[in-house]
Amino acid sequence: MTSRWMTLLLMTRLLAAAVAVLLLLVHRVTPHDPVLIAAGVAYTAGSLLVLTTVPRLQLSPAAWLVDGAAALALVVASEDWRSPFYVLMLTALILPSTGLPFRRALGWGLAFTLAYLGVAVSTELDADTLESTIRLETIATHLMVPLVVVLALAYAADVLARLRDERLRSERLAVESERQRIAWELHDSAKQRVHAAHLVLSALQNQVDGAGAQLVSHALAELRAAGADMDTSVAELRMPLEGRSVQRLLEERAAELAPVSEAQINVRGTVGELPAHIAAHVYRIGAEALTNAVRHGEAEHVDVMLARNGSTATIEVRDDGRGLPAIRRPGSNGLRSMRARADTIGATLSLGPGDGGRGTSVVLSWRTDSDEGSSQA
Amino acid sequence: MIRILIVDDHPAMRAGLIAVLRAEPGFVPLDAAHSDRDLWPMLNRTRPDVVVLDYHLPGDDGLVLCRRIKRQMPAPAVLLYSAHADAALTIPARLAGVDGLVSKSAPANELYDAIRRVARGERVLPPISRELLDDAGNRLKSDELPILGMTIEDTPLLDIAATLGIAPAEVAHRIDRMIKRLKIEIPAPHSAG
Repeated sequence: MTSRWMTLLLMTRLLAAAVAVLLLLVHRVTPHDPVLIAAGVAYTAGSLLVLTTVPRLQLSPAAWLVDGAAALALVVASEDWRSPFYVLMLTALILPSTGLPFRRALGWGLAFTLAYLGVAVSTELDADTLESTIRLETIATHLMVPLVVVLALAYAADVLARLRDERLRSERLAVESERQRIAWELHDSAKQRVHAAHLVLSALQNQVDGAGAQLVSHALAELRAAGADMDTSVAELRMPLEGRSVQRLLEERAAELAPVSEAQINVRGTVGELPAHIAAHVYRIGAEALTNAVRHGEAEHVDVMLARNGSTATIEVRDDGRGLPAIRRPGSNGLRSMRARADTIGATLSLGPGDGGRGTSVVLSWRTDSDEGSSQA
Repeated sequence: MIRILIVDDHPAMRAGLIAVLRAEPGFVPLDAAHSDRDLWPMLNRTRPDVVVLDYHLPGDDGLVLCRRIKRQMPAPAVLLYSAHADAALTIPARLAGVDGLVSKSAPANELYDAIRRVARGERVLPPISRELLDDAGNRLKSDELPILGMTIEDTPLLDIAATLGIAPAEVAHRIDRMIKRLKIEIPAPHSAG
């Protein structure tokens, strides 16, 4: 955005400087014209050099102020408000008009115009001027031009900014609806096919034995992992983690659960940076364990501890609740999907009673130096 | 011989279920409906012993359909077969008269076992924990709690109506309302499960 206005400034300032130098060469304006020429050239070259080499200054009000003051100083030095440097002075308005919000830009323009009026009064604006219609018109025009320049530029910048926001918004919406569509297809079609394949294959398991049974159980494990990958992808598409850390996500999840739970939830430690798809699986396993602890565990305290020790990372979710049911609940697929997710990233998931046999402890651990964890176990 | 009707909106799942059930001795898959619209004629035609019912369906979900299936005389056993077979579904499933709950990610043996048990008149539902009951209690109105309690204890509808002194149709209406309210999950983790 700035670069567009910087280009405009570059072109107009160079042009205005050339015009000023020409005017000074052709017409004698003051007794010290050569000095003025040198000052004008120095101002033009210096300001443009500084603004292009330190781009941060292009948006700095202090830099605009210095630039404007220097331009006005050139007008003062030329000893007449109808200065050869007048257009050069106007170029000092480009960055503030386009860098400030619309109303403030107008304020800046008004202040600048008043400063110019001050310069005009201090140079040759006298009673004669005010009596001459032509000269009166000239001063009025000179005062109007900065305001018009600021208005036009600020308006253009404002419209451009809105256009850009609108385009970003519609791009975001398009991406969003595409994500939803893919998520829907994954979940409502591909996932159903995986379920169907898993079901059919698991029926075959009864009919084969020996090496065949091993192959079938291997294929079943793959299908479960595929299902888990799809679940994570669907979740990621519907609610992208967007690079947030696992710890932060688990904290958010804990905050979400707080109102529906009587347990006190603590999230501590960190596992550091993780590749995106590992983070997605790890977070979802952790969130599932946390949700289970809160939902079924009748716990008073749930502790989520993240740790990284050399090349091993672990997440432990520990509660002081009812503990694991002696018999696995029929129809519970929470544990199944946690295991399948752990498999897809080559992590180990262990469940057991917590400290002193009370509650439940779920520990997920994985190596952080493996080949992005894409191992198929 | 157990005669089974399937309701699932996905063709792969329907075909898979039919193939798997046909391969198992003692099971006769009769037909597969893809929505409630073709379910009713099939139900009248085939009179199954067990309906294997998907939870997520276009239009009315499995619980609503189960309520309607259970009004048939004689009513078949209903096995809710869902990708989201979560313990949180237990109480609404119980209210809806579901006989069994099986996850779509379970192996075929689990499904066979559940079908045999519900066909024998058993129930294949997760136990209702205190947490689940507390949570349900928080979301129901106080005058609905007796209905919940009696339903869990298998009190017949007419007895519930007599105990509460209200019409059986009103009890049925309240149960519908309770199911609708209980179906709302507590927030799932950023996941579609």
